[in-house]
Amino acid sequence: MATGRNGNAPSGGRSADLPGTRQVQGGPIAIEGAGRPGEPSLRWKSRARSIEQIEQELVRIWAQPNLTAVVEGAPGRHIAARTSVMNLVVVARRPETAQRAAATIQMLTGRHPSRTIIVSPADPDGPSWIDAQIEAHCMLPRDSAPEVCAETIFMTVGGDAGRHAAAVVAPLLVHDLPVTLWWPGNPPFRWGITDLLDLADRLVVDGSSWSENGLDRLRYLAGIASLDRIAIFDFALVRQSRWREAIASVFDHPELLAYLRHLRRVAVTYASHDQADEPLGTNVVKPVYHVAWLASRLDLGVRKALEPEPTARRAPSGRAARGLATRRGWTASLGDGRAGTGVVIRPIGSSMPGGTTLRLELLAERRGSELRVDVTAEAEIVRARVWRDGVEALDRHFQAPRRTDLNLLAEAIEAGGRDPVAQATIRCAGELAGGPIAPPLESHDAGYHGRSESQRADPRHNDGSGVASPPP
Amino acid sequence: MARPRSQPGTAEPEVVEPQVRPETEPDLPTHPAPRPREMPRTMRELRMQRERRPRTAGQPLENPLREGLRLERVPDPAAFVLFGATGDLAHRKVIPALYQLWRTNLLPHEFCLVGLARRDYDDDDFRAMIRTTLEDHARIRPLDETAWRSFSERVVYQRLEFGDAAAYDALAVALDERDRVKATRGNRLFYLATQPSAFAEIVGQLGRVGLDHEVHGGGWRRIVIEKPFGHDRESAYRLNREVGKVFRESQIYRIDHYLGKETVRNLLVFRFGNGIFEPIWNRRHIDHVQITVAETIGVEGRGQFYEETGAVRDVLQNHLLQLLALVAMEPPATFEADALRDEKLKVLRAVAEPRERDVARDVARGQYGPGWVNGVPVLGYRQEPDVDPDSETETYVAARLEVEDWRWSGVPFYLRTGKRLSKRATEISIQFKEVPHKLFQESVSDPEPNVLAIRIQPDEGIMLRFGAKIPGLGTEVRSVTMDFTYGSAFAVDSPDAYETLILDALLGDASLFTRADEVEQAWGIVDPIIDSWANMPAPDFPNYEAGTFGPPEAEALIERDGRRWRRI
Repeated sequence: MATGRNGNAPSGGRSADLPGTRQVQGGPIAIEGAGRPGEPSLRWKSRARSIEQIEQELVRIWAQPNLTAVVEGAPGRHIAARTSVMNLVVVARRPETAQRAAATIQMLTGRHPSRTIIVSPADPDGPSWIDAQIEAHCMLPRDSAPEVCAETIFMTVGGDAGRHAAAVVAPLLVHDLPVTLWWPGNPPFRWGITDLLDLADRLVVDGSSWSENGLDRLRYLAGIASLDRIAIFDFALVRQSRWREAIASVFDHPELLAYLRHLRRVAVTYASHDQADEPLGTNVVKPVYHVAWLASRLDLGVRKALEPEPTARRAPSGRAARGLATRRGWTASLGDGRAGTGVVIRPIGSSMPGGTTLRLELLAERRGSELRVDVTAEAEIVRARVWRDGVEALDRHFQAPRRTDLNLLAEAIEAGGRDPVAQATIRCAGELAGGPIAPPLESHDAGYHGRSESQRADPRHNDGSGVASPPP
Repeated sequence: MARPRSQPGTAEPEVVEPQVRPETEPDLPTHPAPRPREMPRTMRELRMQRERRPRTAGQPLENPLREGLRLERVPDPAAFVLFGATGDLAHRKVIPALYQLWRTNLLPHEFCLVGLARRDYDDDDFRAMIRTTLEDHARIRPLDETAWRSFSERVVYQRLEFGDAAAYDALAVALDERDRVKATRGNRLFYLATQPSAFAEIVGQLGRVGLDHEVHGGGWRRIVIEKPFGHDRESAYRLNREVGKVFRESQIYRIDHYLGKETVRNLLVFRFGNGIFEPIWNRRHIDHVQITVAETIGVEGRGQFYEETGAVRDVLQNHLLQLLALVAMEPPATFEADALRDEKLKVLRAVAEPRERDVARDVARGQYGPGWVNGVPVLGYRQEPDVDPDSETETYVAARLEVEDWRWSGVPFYLRTGKRLSKRATEISIQFKEVPHKLFQESVSDPEPNVLAIRIQPDEGIMLRFGAKIPGLGTEVRSVTMDFTYGSAFAVDSPDAYETLILDALLGDASLFTRADEVEQAWGIVDPIIDSWANMPAPDFPNYEAGTFGPPEAEALIERDGRRWRRI
């Protein structure tokens, strides 16, 4: 890896040198082999230690008259242009997170971000410093297309500057292009994110990767969604679109559609590796999104937020009561003013990753007739089965492969504008989790995790908009 | 009551019995309830209650779960019944499109392809043939083996002579069997990738065995017909009537693949999704419109077909007039199929049918002679196989048409298409009027009028030309372009037109298909041209060399108006 050879690498993410390239001193990378369509090649690498230097390096990249790609059959093809699509800002608090993010983004060269800025905050003590590596990757989308390039800035920021990430990022954004903020891992919603959100048009997170059950962070995310200013793209929500396709397809049938407004029960089963003494530690963001999507589409309000199901009684001998493994979970209640819909989200031991949805069941009752919907997924197939009054009415299979982070990121930054369905789902998920919490959090000392359960539930922290305010 | 069985590796069915009960009684009362205290009594209370009430309460008309999903609707389970399954169109376009749709999970799992043709194949022969085809024509190569395996499992073949009644009886039985084996639920899409002369026979036989019947709960039946739809207005009318005896118009999908191209679909978004263009999209700002469909290929071994067709019937009557309609139409009230097609039809009705004396002036025809195309010597049209050595069939046509309506009165539409031209290009070019006063007269070169060019192929995209000052101390003006190409802006492959259209047909969306009245109206525009030529002396063919921009008559046609063709 080039940075390793130089020994002057910033501690943030890195991309390995690509086959067919070699590094020259702080500037263009000479291409040794012929470029192949679809494969990005590293064409520029240099270092900078201030914003001004970074800007100068970016200008230098495009001022090079002899940056050429050698393509089979068409030697001397001039670099056509930087893509003009968007800025992508990634906040990676750990080097390995930055590395993973960089590897994913590199695969999107020529497809999306015009400029990617990967920020890694370092030691906050001492004077401010910036260490940045500037790279340009170019790619031929296909043989006949012009070559397109994208820039990546790996930036490690220490000292006070690390606490003002927006001030470091803002001057480096390509003018008048939308800004997507990707926060892999656990976003620290309680500090430091607010000013970056002010810069961004879109926030990309993965709720299913959050630590613990994820419900607290879901409340903050819902608070951001409630602002209606920033679009949110949660991988956890998008990954489940194959379930939503299958569920929606059931009600494409006019004779079944009539039941949809008469849902009485929603049950979601998810995979868990929990120990018996820590029954609800698995991330439940994905199962909650299923319920929230249904509720928001059907205009069902949250009557009772999620709460742990009563703990199973223990037998006098001290051994767990029969059925303990399937009795723990979460319950909630939805309603539209007429009738209520019970919600159960329940874990079950499984070899699947924790929090993976295994089954979704719906029960609807209408004029004495009952409809049961059972949706399951196995490998790349989602299966929807329906019984009406005990008689099988439908059995459909949907081929839908799971999507990778690369697919999801591409989709996240491809999609333009806010997705009202996603925003409504996230807001509803926040309601289910206990109510959205509005950013910004002004106090770093009394962050969300410094609050007690009673504080969180205290209506005085609510501004009346349905969004709880941060604590004083 | 039947209970869902537990799936391997998934939850136990016990989960369907949660402990939480609804907080209110689920069933609505069957008799009038006593008036509750919160019942609104004043107008204000009533209004406030209604504001709180979900707008969608009551019987829903549409599936609210569909909003925001990838497709408006996942195609229903269906059998795709392909007539002419061993033919060129099926193998170059239809089957690769189906495979690509399958590969990207856009076809239902409960899907099967039933190939029908005269050749004596069995299922394995046909699958092997398809495999070879896909290796050459699939949009994404090499083939995805997993996708191919699952796709090929859904392919079957049946020998069928189009006129053999017994074969259709067997087909009906076989399709019922497919319903049982592949759970295709009685939904059938019949795709006629055959010679047009077979359309009426096939449709009649399908009707005879009842394969057109849509019965409640028994599945839908649709038929896709490839162009040409008839040979002239009369034959199109007859064909529509024959097909209409068996299938309702809502079951018929007449495919014009140009309408499925990404840029053509984008034309609607461009016009009606942007605020800046529609206000100037009229006679006050637009000088004229040029629509070009230029091909470098010749007749590609289809000499016999082309002898009976020619450029007017092959391209002008359908592709060019459809593009003209999309450029000139008024905004539809909705994006539904009939709203869109109604507006296109209005445009076609507004196109003045050329009179005989107009044809001589406003329509130019040509036929290519030998020449060089793409650096390769090529034969002249009359030397092509199966072509009459004295053929008078046109391989090029240029026409000046006018849309006589409020928006376009006085704006000429110049349409041209030809084979063996110097370059392959399809483009719509909107040429705007010049500025009313030339302010920069000292400039060495006059700024050219603004042009908006919508490229359909190759390099799909949109280009806007405008004048800009050349950097320096003087005030020199030069035309520059703002260029949008799909490749660099999105860098994702656009679906092939056939993928778009086949998926639409499976979904029951007829927006991008032509309606019977559109087809007949379009024939009404070109029939007088063909009739007039029949009354004229024999043309002096060939009149353009292969690999050039077309015949001089076409240049003269537009130069007479003081304009010139855009260089493609």
